[in-house]
Amino acid sequence: MSSAAAQYKKKNGTLSVSTDGKTVSWEGEGPGLGIAIADIGNLQQTPATAAKASIKIVVVDTSAQAGNHTFTFTSAAARDDQQMIRGLLQKGIEAAKAQETPAVTPAVATPSGDGGGASGAITMAKTVAASAQQDEDMYADAKLLSDLELQMSLLNSSPALRQRFDRALGEKPASVTMGQFSNQFWSTRLNLLRSHAAEKSQTTGSYNVLSVIKSKNVNGTLMLNLTKEQIEVVFRQHPIVKTAYNETVPPLSEGEFWERFFHSRLFKKLKGERIPDDYITDARLDKYLKYDENADAAQQMLVGTIPLFINIEGNEQNHSQQKGNRQDWTMVPSSNEKAPILRVLNRMSEKLMKDVPLADNHHAPAGQDEDTYKELLLRDLQRASDDNRVVLKVQDQSRFFSAGQSLQSSTSAAAYTKRTPSEVLSILQQDFASINTNSRTPGTDLHSKIAVNDDSDSEDESSVPKKSRVGSRAGRAAATTQIIVAIEKRHLHEDEYPSAKGVLNSEQAAKLGISETILDNLTMTHNTTVEFLHYFWDVYHSGNPERANEVAKLIETLDRSLDRISAVAHAAEAERNAQIEEFQRRNELYTQQTGKKRRFNPDAVKGGASAVAQIMQPLKRAIDAARSQYQSALNEQLAQAAPSNGL
Amino acid sequence: MNNIDGSDRHLKTEEAPPPSLLTIVLDTNPHAWAHLSSTLSLSAALANILIFINAHLASGNTNEVAVIASHSHKTSYLYPTKTPSQPTRNGDTNGDVEMNGNGTGRSHQESPNKYRPFAVVESTILQNFAKLLNETNESHLAATPTTLIGGALSLALTYISKSTLQHAPVTSGTENSMAALADAENVHVDRVALTSRILIVSVSGDLANQYIPVMNSIFAAQRKKIPIDILKLAGDTVLLQQASDATGGVYMKPERPEGLLQYLMMAFLPDATARASLVIPSAGGVDFRAACFCHRKVVDVGFVCSVCLSIFCEPNLPDNLCLTCGSYLSLRAALTNPPALIPKKKKKKRKAGTDTATPGGSTPAGSSTPVHP
Repeated sequence: MSSAAAQYKKKNGTLSVSTDGKTVSWEGEGPGLGIAIADIGNLQQTPATAAKASIKIVVVDTSAQAGNHTFTFTSAAARDDQQMIRGLLQKGIEAAKAQETPAVTPAVATPSGDGGGASGAITMAKTVAASAQQDEDMYADAKLLSDLELQMSLLNSSPALRQRFDRALGEKPASVTMGQFSNQFWSTRLNLLRSHAAEKSQTTGSYNVLSVIKSKNVNGTLMLNLTKEQIEVVFRQHPIVKTAYNETVPPLSEGEFWERFFHSRLFKKLKGERIPDDYITDARLDKYLKYDENADAAQQMLVGTIPLFINIEGNEQNHSQQKGNRQDWTMVPSSNEKAPILRVLNRMSEKLMKDVPLADNHHAPAGQDEDTYKELLLRDLQRASDDNRVVLKVQDQSRFFSAGQSLQSSTSAAAYTKRTPSEVLSILQQDFASINTNSRTPGTDLHSKIAVNDDSDSEDESSVPKKSRVGSRAGRAAATTQIIVAIEKRHLHEDEYPSAKGVLNSEQAAKLGISETILDNLTMTHNTTVEFLHYFWDVYHSGNPERANEVAKLIETLDRSLDRISAVAHAAEAERNAQIEEFQRRNELYTQQTGKKRRFNPDAVKGGASAVAQIMQPLKRAIDAARSQYQSALNEQLAQAAPSNGL
Repeated sequence: MNNIDGSDRHLKTEEAPPPSLLTIVLDTNPHAWAHLSSTLSLSAALANILIFINAHLASGNTNEVAVIASHSHKTSYLYPTKTPSQPTRNGDTNGDVEMNGNGTGRSHQESPNKYRPFAVVESTILQNFAKLLNETNESHLAATPTTLIGGALSLALTYISKSTLQHAPVTSGTENSMAALADAENVHVDRVALTSRILIVSVSGDLANQYIPVMNSIFAAQRKKIPIDILKLAGDTVLLQQASDATGGVYMKPERPEGLLQYLMMAFLPDATARASLVIPSAGGVDFRAACFCHRKVVDVGFVCSVCLSIFCEPNLPDNLCLTCGSYLSLRAALTNPPALIPKKKKKKRKAGTDTATPGGSTPAGSSTPVHP
């Protein structure tokens, strides 16, 4: 719910937009006013230069609130209020339009409004139904998209996202409205919104209050700061304190009571600290020391509501005392005087857990109903349990391939048909016979077989047309080159995720031969372009003719992205040229000083436009794919539309 | 304690690199090798691979090797020879124990010029391959143009799994070291786990019909951290490239198969331990596209059965049933809307009206879309 102070018909009041972005209402002196946002036909505001900040809502004729309504913002930050309300309304209008629901929802009228009792009742009923549904719909896409506050808080919590949002906002084409933009931005990030909403809805539970209250030493006296809430929690967690308070406060003053309490044995006991024998006594409070700590244990215990899984108590076979043994020492109840803290902490935890609603509180207490029993059953251990796995009936794969799998079809198979199977066998057997010398000769001469001969280096130069032999020098050299190229390529691509692998940006930039600022620039450009590509495909595949204009705008944006990339490429090229010039200048200096010439190869300087082009190549391909698909689809549709329009 | 009796009770850990098992799956598809015989004959390839195996065995005393032939009608071990039941295996020295004195086939003759483990591996592989070749008849070849790569991969994985178990029996770490401390006389050495890898020397294409078994093997290898290296001498398949990429292996498709030995030595010799500190030569750009199950087309955008993950290239399935598993599968909802790029006349008017009236929407709608009369 966002609201702002505003005047309506010269009366002061508050103009507010409901959180679901469905209604805008004004309340103040005189009758209130409620307008369904879907009914708004037009929205006008005073220009930023005007003295008064006001907004005019034109409601379409079919609505009960038809006509013009002008609201003048009255607060000190009137202009900001105006912007905020306008933004919300615009967003709501777009959401309403996007839904394409017939806009017949009656205006939400306040009971005193002129909407009439009947329509008021209907709206009331609707709201009730809506609020019941609200819990389930809290994470619905449309709701998340329209929740401005949630989006703002997510942006505030994530600087990286904020940066991306601002950047994309700055570069969006002017023709895309703020509402469209934010819709597109968030529609690709619904998961983030949803998790953020879930995160926000979590609250911290209660805590062990006594351990939090600490005394402070101020000017030599101990001071205690106790808030009202803390006192409340103390009473709730320790009913005995409440009893003590009730019974002692009329004689004592409140301050006195707390002062004495925090120095009393009772306090120490409740906290679980050991009480020294010589600790000061307090006649009034010490009588509460003997309270029954287990008095409220029964109602604290969760056990009652937790269904029994395995009843260990029922296991009589291993009852050691029946065999005359002493109880195991862990089973013997010990007095809690020695280490009261453990007991106190445990009890405290139980108390805290008691306040937490059960996730599955549909269980009947203790005595199990049939469903619970079935749920807890260890089915795997049942002797004759049914196999409840889903049987996957995979049919013979080759069935599908039988058509394409015959010897004749696929490319390699086609090549094989040149030889009959018997030919194939004889070729192989002959060939194999050359290596598989029979058992009487000792082993095979592998060296001659692989035919690597490092001594003869003229073999390939002398006879060029000779068919390349296995193991020839040229063959091996080609292999080396191929592998080295592959290694270099891999080396460059190794750090695809620089941050994840801990590789610094600067290292990456140095590898590519471009400066760090340009790499940063590229990263940013890449991010925003990917963002726009997302939008493009989103809208393109929506198949909604009303968004056709958006698609066209997004194509323009993608064109501009290409311009941005080339701008970065130019910058990189300029940088490289400057570097080359610098080298040349130094060389000249060197020549002047020493009289010797140094060779310099400009091609050795990496980076420049080519490096940028290399990095951006996949992105360019993606943009081109989007553009060409758009163009062809557009041409096709224009061709289809033309004759019908001509008629 | 060391100071009291002057004994040195430190645990000794082996400092040598861990033993490495190289499992070679050799695609022996006769069609493909006959086709290749002009550029790279099978015998030459075998010789090159034998040298590669020798290099692998030589690079570590504890290294082991296994060679599996993926033939057209069956898969079989080339090395070690499968023996019916050998009473004892004495473990982890080069794996050549398998051949010691077993009476299957001829025994190799000792060559004075050859390191014995090399000779053993060599003669075993050749023997077994000769046997495999003799068993092959024409009807086997006529039946299929491709090879049983899926079966060979499973065989390789099972062999690796068995050797890993034999190599490092499961012990609880702390108990072991305590025992070692107590028993100071004998030097205890912590056993280092076997690192394994699979090298597939592939010459056949048309592997798409084994998509499911091969994919399952790939996932198993991925789980066990066994890299699958691919040396693709002929025929291309998306499948094997994915295998190497998913398991972190090396994929090589030689431009000049004649340099086979060089490829083997440079790209495939380092084992998983060594690769941690090397840049492995896998050029990027893996083709992740899958082949559809219905027409074996390699598809960019496909439709996947939610039950068995079969891939289809078109959403119109007969009776809305998955072709592979027969479960109900309606793909209508997966279709994207056809793009509508021309605004409707009537709607546009209204939209334009609101657009201009809404503050901020200053550009007249439709300015960029040429709309013909």
